[in-house]
Amino acid sequence: MSSLYFIALPLLFGFAVPIITRFGKNSVAYTSTLMQLGLFGLALLLLNTRAVEVIAINPPLGISFVLNEVSMLFVLLFTFLMLCFSIYYLQMRKSHAYASENKFFILINMLLASAIGLVLSSDIFNIYVFFEIAGVSAYILSAYHKNAKALEAGIKYLITGMVASVFLVFGIALIYIHLGSLNLALLSQSFGTLSPDMKLLISLLLLVGFGFKVEIFPLNFWVTDVYEGSSTPINALFSAIVVKAYLFVFFHLYYLFVPDAIYSHLLVTIGAVSMIVAEIVALKQTNLKRVFAYSSLGQVGLIFALFALENTQAIIAGLYIVIAHSLAKFIIFLSITSIERRYESVDISVLRRVQSPFMVAIVLVAMLSLLGLPPLLGFTGKFLGLSSMAMSGEFLLLVVVVVASLIESVYYFKIAGGLLHKSDEREPLGLSLVEKVIFALLALLLIVLGLVPWIVSGFIHQGATIMLDSVLYNASLLGGAL
Amino acid sequence: MIDALFTYLNQESVIDMIVTIGSMILFFIGLFGLLSQRHIIKLFISIAIMETAVFLFFVGSIFVRGFTAPILGDGYDKFVSMNDPIPHAMILTAIVIGMAVFALGASFAIEYYKLTSVTDVDQMSEISEINR
Repeated sequence: MSSLYFIALPLLFGFAVPIITRFGKNSVAYTSTLMQLGLFGLALLLLNTRAVEVIAINPPLGISFVLNEVSMLFVLLFTFLMLCFSIYYLQMRKSHAYASENKFFILINMLLASAIGLVLSSDIFNIYVFFEIAGVSAYILSAYHKNAKALEAGIKYLITGMVASVFLVFGIALIYIHLGSLNLALLSQSFGTLSPDMKLLISLLLLVGFGFKVEIFPLNFWVTDVYEGSSTPINALFSAIVVKAYLFVFFHLYYLFVPDAIYSHLLVTIGAVSMIVAEIVALKQTNLKRVFAYSSLGQVGLIFALFALENTQAIIAGLYIVIAHSLAKFIIFLSITSIERRYESVDISVLRRVQSPFMVAIVLVAMLSLLGLPPLLGFTGKFLGLSSMAMSGEFLLLVVVVVASLIESVYYFKIAGGLLHKSDEREPLGLSLVEKVIFALLALLLIVLGLVPWIVSGFIHQGATIMLDSVLYNASLLGGAL
Repeated sequence: MIDALFTYLNQESVIDMIVTIGSMILFFIGLFGLLSQRHIIKLFISIAIMETAVFLFFVGSIFVRGFTAPILGDGYDKFVSMNDPIPHAMILTAIVIGMAVFALGASFAIEYYKLTSVTDVDQMSEISEINR
């Protein structure tokens, strides 16, 4: 069993759709879900494997994909969430199917393949290619409904994405001109030989290129517009899968190339600023999708700052928050989808009409986990994060994170108030069994992992060590093949 | 006079300089367009100019004059005095990706224009900061 299936199968699925569609109206939907189930099973099967998958020629010349603890963690998360999304959609399509559904399935599978490709690639040009594939499928998904709102979101997303890719390709060109290689291990070994000016230039170009996609402060002006314009279930994918893949690959490159104290301070500052700004702006929003888009930006800022701290403890905390945030945002955006479908509004006032104790409980669990309250998984992440900040002496950052969490709690309580407020307009929400099972499963994961984090802590600990240790990564990449 | 000019221009360092400065000028023309234009299609064109500048810069700086294509045969039996094929392959890929994305962008712009008759990014008003 090889890690190539994670990328090849979803991409091949696109080509197989014209054949599969002949077997009946529902065959594409079910095949796609089955394939995602298979991919999740494969991820579980490969859980303890560490492998370098080589295509045709050995590194440094050929293309290779590296499966280690940390990339495995992301692959597992992505395949699991995509499986949940597909099952949710199977239920949703009975009443609210997307137009020309086959295209929709091709696109979500492209998104999955490219997110996994970004995480597994060990070659900077392949990272660019997957960067673009993820971009293109995300642009189309956000403009999918072809109404004015969706198209506006698509255009904004596309323009920012194109600018980002120009800067990224510029950075890659300079790297190749000066170092003559594309393989991450070789680049990591020789990057230090560059002159400081060139290092700075390349780092800035890559920072701007990835900065648009990882949604950090000055470059995230487009994010909330895209979230508002695109349809709600797609937001769950953007917030839980796409951003996480970009975040991982950005810091993966960062630790391979320039673990440098000056850059670390810069990145921590950027992360802290994007967290506090996003949380403050979120306060006055009245559209649920915008509120949670800003909350996403805040959480991404926190993860960004933690990853930039350059110690194992902080990266462990960051990885916990990645998992907690993905699960929680998945619950929240899918709940908003259910609410929107029933009451046809995403304004915050719609919450006063929701009558569903189950939904209220689930959304509360997700929001409390985002806030970082025990015994949920978000608490584990935030607690470890704060303690790692204290240990590395970043007290200013610690204060910023605590203040931002307080601001966050204000608007979460506003939402919780809307859900719990006594009101006569309440109408039953009418969740189906499938929806309930998915929400319950995701919430249960948040609770169980929060109560007994040692189920995953060994795995996450190894992942963080590998992420920080470029020598180990290089040895696995070059030594495994030569 | 003309001959002297050509000899001067034919020097490796001068060509490198022309490629670098020229592509950077092109890059900043594109960047200026991106920041000053507000028409959607003009924005796409500006980004395309920036992208082309990067491609030109990359191929121009890696290309060695006098070297041949990296193909064995016709008396060439060793990989010496040959140009590096990787940048060319990379740039071809990037051009194709760029073209596809611009085509997608143009189709979005056309659909959006059909629905709202707006071609200006500043007048896009379907999504706003405070929900109406």
